[in-house]
This record gives sequence, structure tokens and C-alpha cells, in this order.
Amino acid sequence: MARANASRFRFNPPGWFLLLPAVLFLIAFFVLPLVDDGLRSIRADDGSLTLARYVAILSDRFYLGVIVETVALSSAVTVICVLIGYPVAYHLVRRAGCWSALIVFLLIAPLLTSIIMRTFGWQVLFARRGLINTLLVQDLGLLEQPLRILNTPGLAIAALVHVLVPFMVLSIAAVLQGIDQRLEEGAQVLGASRWRTFVEITLPLSLDGIGTGAILVFMIANGSFVTLALLGGGFQTLPLFIFQQFNTTRDFGMASTMSTVLLVIAMACLYLQLRLVRRQGI
Amino acid sequence: MTMLTRRRLLQTGAGAGLMLAGASRMAMGQARTLNVTAYGGVWETTIRSCFVAPFEAKTGAKATVSLGSPAQWLAQVEASPAKPPLDVLIMTPDLAITAAQADRMQDFTVEKIPNLAKIPRQFTDACLGKGTYFDYGVAGITYNKKTVPNPPKSFAEFVDRVAAGDFVASVPSITYAVTPIMLIWAMAQALGGSVENVDPFFDAMKKMKKNLLFWSGPNDFFNHLASGEADLGIYFDGRTWNHYDEGATWIDFVNPKEGGALAAVAIQIPKNADPLAFAYLNEVLDAQNQTRFAEVMNYAVTNEDVVYSAKLKPRITPWQQAAFPPYEKIAAVRNGWVDRWNREIGR
Repeated sequence: MARANASRFRFNPPGWFLLLPAVLFLIAFFVLPLVDDGLRSIRADDGSLTLARYVAILSDRFYLGVIVETVALSSAVTVICVLIGYPVAYHLVRRAGCWSALIVFLLIAPLLTSIIMRTFGWQVLFARRGLINTLLVQDLGLLEQPLRILNTPGLAIAALVHVLVPFMVLSIAAVLQGIDQRLEEGAQVLGASRWRTFVEITLPLSLDGIGTGAILVFMIANGSFVTLALLGGGFQTLPLFIFQQFNTTRDFGMASTMSTVLLVIAMACLYLQLRLVRRQGI
Repeated sequence: MTMLTRRRLLQTGAGAGLMLAGASRMAMGQARTLNVTAYGGVWETTIRSCFVAPFEAKTGAKATVSLGSPAQWLAQVEASPAKPPLDVLIMTPDLAITAAQADRMQDFTVEKIPNLAKIPRQFTDACLGKGTYFDYGVAGITYNKKTVPNPPKSFAEFVDRVAAGDFVASVPSITYAVTPIMLIWAMAQALGGSVENVDPFFDAMKKMKKNLLFWSGPNDFFNHLASGEADLGIYFDGRTWNHYDEGATWIDFVNPKEGGALAAVAIQIPKNADPLAFAYLNEVLDAQNQTRFAEVMNYAVTNEDVVYSAKLKPRITPWQQAAFPPYEKIAAVRNGWVDRWNREIGR
């Protein structure tokens, strides 16, 4: 009897019900804050609606330059990550053998350290009297004056690449792993050189991994703040300005406008990258 | 024998939950809890030992300490003014004026805070009567004695020698909240400018550009000096002495002859905060408590009855020897300065 009652009241949720917690969480902590942010960007101090802040940003050559610099920096970091990450991923999947676990560990290990610690590490290494300059000037006597490496654009980019290249390697490696090696062997049996096999078989089949890695790296670089705030490099990017609007000028409306512009840029770039990858027929 | 069914389990759990909630409410009723603020690190521990502990001992109430930054705390209060989540705010002087002008803060009077009588009137006036300063430092020239045996004695000398390439200097970047006061105004003033005319500052920065670094936070500055990336820079006296006491005995500080900018810490009580906040404020402004605070933090405090130790006294720059920034005037033009910095200096 008890069992009959239990089965009568058994709760059989529909499939969408299981999604409800995740959807509610996203609405509460992602969608609503974004809507609030958007509204704040178009609300004037007197409460009326205005696009003045967008006009101010998008019609000012200085701020347009900042937007271009933000996208250019993220793009440069993404391209460098592809150039460094692909060979590493290829070696990891095809050549490393028993060393692959060690390589994966070495890739992931830096991610276990705080980004602030890693950024300070760059300062210790490359300061005027840091490890590298001491080696070059005092120990080896190769230079008379220490090199000025910190606070240069190159080092800021290198630090961002250092942070982000594992995302690229792991994305590409996952796809390379899934490529049937018999396709490459077949091409070579039919007379294709190693290079041609790579260009016409391996690379096209791994574009999906490059696309995924590029999207990840670009998005994170686009919003990166700590590395650029600490290592400088003279870059003026939107995340630095958003922080400044909050921390120094307390112009929350402008901060919201900048963050909305950054979001739109990120989404536009995401769309373009997805189209680019899909156009390859992957 | 009672069977443990799912329904019974749920009923038991709900009952236990209600009992726990009730118990915690009873506990809350017995001891009121004040939510005060502090910066992180040694600041927090010192706030706890010097101010929170005596407050709790005298009132029987509890005080929790929220860590963060003034801009964040003010934003929290602005988001919920009818029921502010914080009862006492640590503020920068310019933000204290912004908050006072927006009528978000309560008036400070000797009736509510007896120890306020021992604080120089200028400090309460600087917060428009809706707050006061409880400690201060001076933003002057901190340098590495090993690489700068003969440090600049004034802002003008600092600019000339950095421009000439004698040293690499580290100065606060515009992302640091106090930069408009401790650097832009202080240097403009020292070089013949004013709040209305900061051209001398921007001209000086152009001259020094090749030998200039920017720090985003105080630890960043220390790293610049410790790693040899910079030789000297614009920094706070109290923090300099903290580094010295921690073993960096190569560091030293000069208050420029024009007077470094007074870098005060304001304290305010939001409207609708727990009235116990005034009792806490009285402990913050108490001479004995402030003396202990100063000894740990190496910063000057504001109660006139405080007597500094022989070790601390020579390190303290009396506020009369510092340049007292016209915070209200600066607040009105600050955003224009920041915009100009972005366009002319970069970061």
C-alpha cells in the first residue's frame, strides 16, 4: 500500500526542469547584471535616457584609438599563442610519447600559481638589476648598461602569452588527438611530402582546435587587467580605463558604457572567428 | 519502531533548520554587530587590535571588519542607503567630500563623539563636518640609499635630476585613486601651479618621461625599488618606514621642501547606520588607542594628546609641515585632470 502511494506521488520532472538551476543562476548573476550595466550606461544623472556617453566614446579619436589598441593587443596575443601553441600541441600529441604527461603538467603548472605572483616574477627576472640583467652585465660582462625590458610593450605581450598559451595548446591538442593518423599515412603513401601532408591534411583538420583556442585566448586577453596594470608596456586598453572610471573618477555611467562597448567588441570578434572557422567546413 | 521515511527526514530537517535560525536570531539580539571597514594586511590586524577590541570590551557588542577599498565601500552604501551594509567607512579625503556633499553621511559632533574634541578642527572641516581624519602620512620622496646617496630635497630638484637621467623614478599611475592629489596637485603646486593650473605638472612629466616608471599599488613601488628598476619615487612616509622595519634598511624618505601632500585617512558614518558606530568612532579617536595604532603603522595620528615613542617621533612629519590639499576644489576638476593624463601621459 505504501509503495503504491509512493509511486502515485513520484515526481517526474520534465527535461527542462533539470536545467532550471543553471538558467536561474545565469539570469541572476549574468543576465540581470548585464541589463543593469546596459541601463546604467544610457541613464543620465537626471534619470533621463541618453546615448551621450556612447557618442562621446565613439566620436573621440582618443577613445577610438583605445578600442583599436584593445583589439590589436588581443589579436597579437592570439596570433602569437597560435604560433607557439601549435608546434607544442603537435609535439605533445605526435612526438612526446611517455613525456606527454610531463609536458601537460608543465603547461598546467603555471595556471596553479596566482597571476599576480607570476606577474611579479617577470619583474624580478627582467628588472634593471634583476636576474637577466645581472647575468648579462655583471656575471658575463656582455653588456655595459642593463637592458630596459620592464614596462615595454614586448614584455607585457610576452607575459600575456605566458598566461594564455596553455589554453591554446590544450585546445589544439584535444583536436589533434582525434585526427585519424591513417589519413596522414595514406597521403604520404600516395606520395605527399611531410609538409604537404601537414598543410593539406593535418592543419585543416585541426582548425577547429585553433578556432576554439583563439576564441578562448582572445576573450581572456580582451578583458585582461592585472598583467597590463602591473607590467604596463604603455598599453591603454578598455579594461584599464574601466577600472580607472570606477576607482579614480567614480564615473560609473562611463564605466558601464566602456564595459558594454568591450562586450560588443568581444561578441563581434567571437562571431567573426566562428564564421571563419565554419567557413573552413569544419 | 519508527521507520525513517523521506518525508520524516525532510520534516526533521526543516524543524532543525527553523530551530537553528531561531537560535541565531536570539544570539543576534543579545549582541549587536557593527560592520566596520579596513584595508587588508597589517591594517586589518591593527584595526582589530587597536580599535575593535576596546570597542567590544566596552560595549559588549561585536564588530566585523570588511576589507576592500573606499570606492567599493561607498558604492555599497549608495546601493542601499536606507539600510547600509557598513556602519563605519574608511575613506580617502576626496571621496569623503563626495559622500558628504551627496548627503550620505552623518554629522560628527563632540556630543556624539567626545574624543572629537581632541582632533584638530581642520580635519573635521575638511570632511564638511561629516567625518574626520584619524591618521595621516605625507607623500614625499622615497629613495634607495645605495643608488641615491644624495637625494633630491625638493620636487623641483626631483624633476630636474630625473629629467637629466640621474635616476629612474617610479611615480603612481593614474589607476591609483590618490594620484590626482599626491602627484598631480602636489607637484603642480610645488612647481608654481595651482588647482586651476596644472600645466607645470604636465610639463614636468614630459621632461621626465624617458626616466619614469609607474606603480599601480604601493607594493608595486617597493618592488620597483627592491628590484633596482627604479632608484626613487613618490611614495608615503609611513609605508617607507614599514619597509625599513621589515628589513629594507636601504630605504629612506624625504619630505620635499615645498611640502609633500598630506595623505590622510578619513572616517565616516553613513546615514541610517547603527548608532553604536559613534561608540566605535570614539575608540578610533581615543589617544591611547591611536598611540598603539601609530606605533604599529608608522603613520601619524590625529588626536592631539598622542605622544609618540622616541623611535616613531623623528619619522613623523607633522601635518603643519605638509601641503594640505584643497580636496573640495580638486574633486571638482579631478576628472578633467585624469582625462588629460590619459591623453598626454598614457598610463
